[in-house]
Amino acid sequence: MLLCPWAAGGGTDQVSREVAALLEQELDVPVNVVNATGGAGVTGHTRGALARPDGYTLTMVTVEINMLHWRGLTSISPWDFEPVGLLNRDAAAMFVRSDAPWETLEDLGRFIEANPGRLKASGTATGGIWHLGFAGWLTKIGVAPSAAIWVSINGAGPSLQELIAGGVDAVCVSLPEAQSLLDADRIRCLGVMADGRLESYPDVPTFKEQGVDWTLTGWRGVCLPKGAPPEVTARLVGALERAARSENFRTFMQNAGFDARWEPPQQFAETMRQVDEQLGALLTSDAFRSLHRSRFGPMFFPWVLMAILAAVFIGLIATGGFKRAEDVEPLIGQGLLRAAAVVAWVAAYLLAVEWAGFVLTAGVLLAVLLRLFGSRWPVAVGVSAILVPLTYQLFAVSLRVPLPQGWLGW
Amino acid sequence: MSESFTQACAHVLGDPHVLGIIALTALYGIFMGAVPGLTATMAVALIVPVTFFLDPIPALAAVVTLEACAIFAGDIPNTLLRIPGTPSSAAYADDAYALTRAGKSQQALGVCLTFSVAGGLLGTAILLLFAPQLARVATWFTVAEYFWLYLIGLSCAVVVSRGSTLQATLALVIGLLLSTVGLSAVHTQARFTFGRPELYQGINFIPAMIGLFGVSEVFRNVLRLNAQPEGPAGEFVVPASAGRFRLKAELQTGGDGWWNRFVAGPVGMVFGPALVLLWRRKWHALRSGGIGSLVGMLPGAGADIGAWVSLAASKRFSKKPQEYGAGSLEGIGDATAANNSALAGAWIPAIVFGIPGDSVTAIVIGVLLMKNIQPGPEIFEKQGPLVWSIYVVFLLANLILIPVGFLAIKSGGYVVRVPRRVLLPLILLFCVLGAYAINGSYFDVGVMLAMGILGFALERRRIPLGPIVLGIILGGPLEERFLQTLTGAQSSLAAFFGRPLSAALGAVCILIWLFPLVPLRGGRRASGQ
Repeated sequence: MLLCPWAAGGGTDQVSREVAALLEQELDVPVNVVNATGGAGVTGHTRGALARPDGYTLTMVTVEINMLHWRGLTSISPWDFEPVGLLNRDAAAMFVRSDAPWETLEDLGRFIEANPGRLKASGTATGGIWHLGFAGWLTKIGVAPSAAIWVSINGAGPSLQELIAGGVDAVCVSLPEAQSLLDADRIRCLGVMADGRLESYPDVPTFKEQGVDWTLTGWRGVCLPKGAPPEVTARLVGALERAARSENFRTFMQNAGFDARWEPPQQFAETMRQVDEQLGALLTSDAFRSLHRSRFGPMFFPWVLMAILAAVFIGLIATGGFKRAEDVEPLIGQGLLRAAAVVAWVAAYLLAVEWAGFVLTAGVLLAVLLRLFGSRWPVAVGVSAILVPLTYQLFAVSLRVPLPQGWLGW
Repeated sequence: MSESFTQACAHVLGDPHVLGIIALTALYGIFMGAVPGLTATMAVALIVPVTFFLDPIPALAAVVTLEACAIFAGDIPNTLLRIPGTPSSAAYADDAYALTRAGKSQQALGVCLTFSVAGGLLGTAILLLFAPQLARVATWFTVAEYFWLYLIGLSCAVVVSRGSTLQATLALVIGLLLSTVGLSAVHTQARFTFGRPELYQGINFIPAMIGLFGVSEVFRNVLRLNAQPEGPAGEFVVPASAGRFRLKAELQTGGDGWWNRFVAGPVGMVFGPALVLLWRRKWHALRSGGIGSLVGMLPGAGADIGAWVSLAASKRFSKKPQEYGAGSLEGIGDATAANNSALAGAWIPAIVFGIPGDSVTAIVIGVLLMKNIQPGPEIFEKQGPLVWSIYVVFLLANLILIPVGFLAIKSGGYVVRVPRRVLLPLILLFCVLGAYAINGSYFDVGVMLAMGILGFALERRRIPLGPIVLGIILGGPLEERFLQTLTGAQSSLAAFFGRPLSAALGAVCILIWLFPLVPLRGGRRASGQ
């Protein structure tokens, strides 16, 4: 399976699904995409790095792996992965509304310098990759990153929406993410943070052309957990390279606007190291750290909620609204035992399933619970024997839910 | 325009390939929607690799049909077992399940289906007529407006719940607090994670929803497993005869031939009362569809908020507000109409600006780009027939929902005839599967179990569960928008009323808080709570 640390429908998900489909053809085994989302990428990357290194779990690693460990969010770093191949690099670009007064990057930079605290920018959450792109550019032209307000908005889509709604004045995201608004002439691109002009966007000047030596690119690549057997890695590298060089993949990437670029494992590792250094320097700099101090800390919202909760709770107790209703069954005797059996049942499933597999675990446990609730043994065993394999076939084989195979290997 | 329209009809209706795909994806969509834990987004993501090999129109037809059928199918487990198949069904879980316990599951599902189709068609009409104009409205929304919108959605969840306002507020705040677990979106800092990496992703609302509604219902039922006569009696069973007799009288269909027994009877039973209700409440349905489309087209709002807001509006203007939460067909109808029309609404910003209205349209934009079609204002001129094809497909998808949904309701009917001692273990297994399927994570199964216990304990104290789900879904975005508005305005609270639109939405929100206090009290006294 291929772990995608980002949500279904996003750019990384699209690339993951395309790669999975192509790898499936190359390797002749089903390759499922599993979206392990949340925690700004921590969840998916952690799961991928800690997975059993048997070659069956691949991860679509993204540039965030270069940032998370610097910010102390996870101990997982690029060195916990075995690189297989880099698939794409997308450079950050700067956008303003098409009716904005700034025609060039320099205009925008001067405005921020002259009016600290006036300009609002966004593109991702505070400390995200595009925020680094923006802050890095300001640092490079000698302006404190705190001179502009970074509004922490998750995702390119919502940030661009905010830009055209007038909530922010500039947005830093990658070019393909902004393509349709760019085509609709609602926004203007001031420059791209790449080494040279991009094939798909020949009209967009680079930052370097405008006299700022600043580049920042995000990347996506496939990795194995550290410690995968060399022959497995070699086989996957071959398959991935053929997939990445295939006509199918190139057309897909071009149509989606992603900058397709194949890098073999060693070069990929070098890229990771370079980007890691660049972002690490930025993330640990004093200028950037000072940005994180905001008036409303992470615990502001929970504290407000807890205060409301306490108030509501007191109100409920005072009005008698928290009493148990009269018409419910008391929690005693057999009923209590059965309720406990339900809890124990789920716990037993969790303990056994990874080890014995879904079919055996669910089959045995289902039969036991049916018996416990009063079915006769033949009914209990019959129902389990028919329904559990059917369920497995439907969910694991047809719908590709990664149910564990266990001993039966089915 | 008319030329594009005829072309589109020819593309869609004249192509057996497209029609076949619509029929197949309808069945697939019904199944995916009916299994809790398998979402419409997941269903669409799964068929994306297939769409690589399809032309744009069949590809879009597949996605649209899938979506329309999945969101209705979410009502089936919601009504029969009180496990919402999709989050937007959670708004009326109590209403629909109360009807099942009263032996009226077929009528309840009939209302769900009929109003879903009506809402879907209405949403299509709005998409067809006003897409470019409405898309412009969507671009006025900044973070401050979204903050108010989320707060309106949450307030509506409190308003529609049965029980006192305080009890519903307690549920809501519990949900909001649960949403703060994990990495905070604004600060990207860990909260309440106790150093456990699994908790970084926070509490996913799908397993939470399955636990709160499904597992807690299992708990409640095992307590009284022996308290009632065993066998296929008990509360799950439909006293079919009673319903049918009354209906026969209503519809004047006599006779006992096979036609009446297998076709006219069941069809009348499912659709009869629903159509009567739809005719009586046509303006309400229109209002609900309008609310659904408007909320659906706002990126990040979507069908869930649509259903809740519509239900609140429905209750507010109803003559029988005390029925809401205890089996109100009116409420169910209005809410399902809204969540189906919200689907079409989400396509408005997607087509016009390439900004996805929800996670499904995010995938759609990817599919379009792959086919070298660029969403944007020019799409109407450059790809006229394609846009019209989308409209035609939306119409077809909602029409095919009628027979397919009917079959699903009928087969769902068998579920409630299974004796509970067999059904409960199966429900539990499917709860576990559903919670696992969404992310492939065992931790989610644990969340489901914990939420089941929490839901059970709260229900015994008559605390409604719906607001908890909405709290978990909207807690993160609400906090984000709140802090974003404040950072943008350098911590000045005036930002929330700084623009005409945000001030108006803020006023609506405050009205919702102040307004229902009086009539709600009256309603409570009337229902004897």
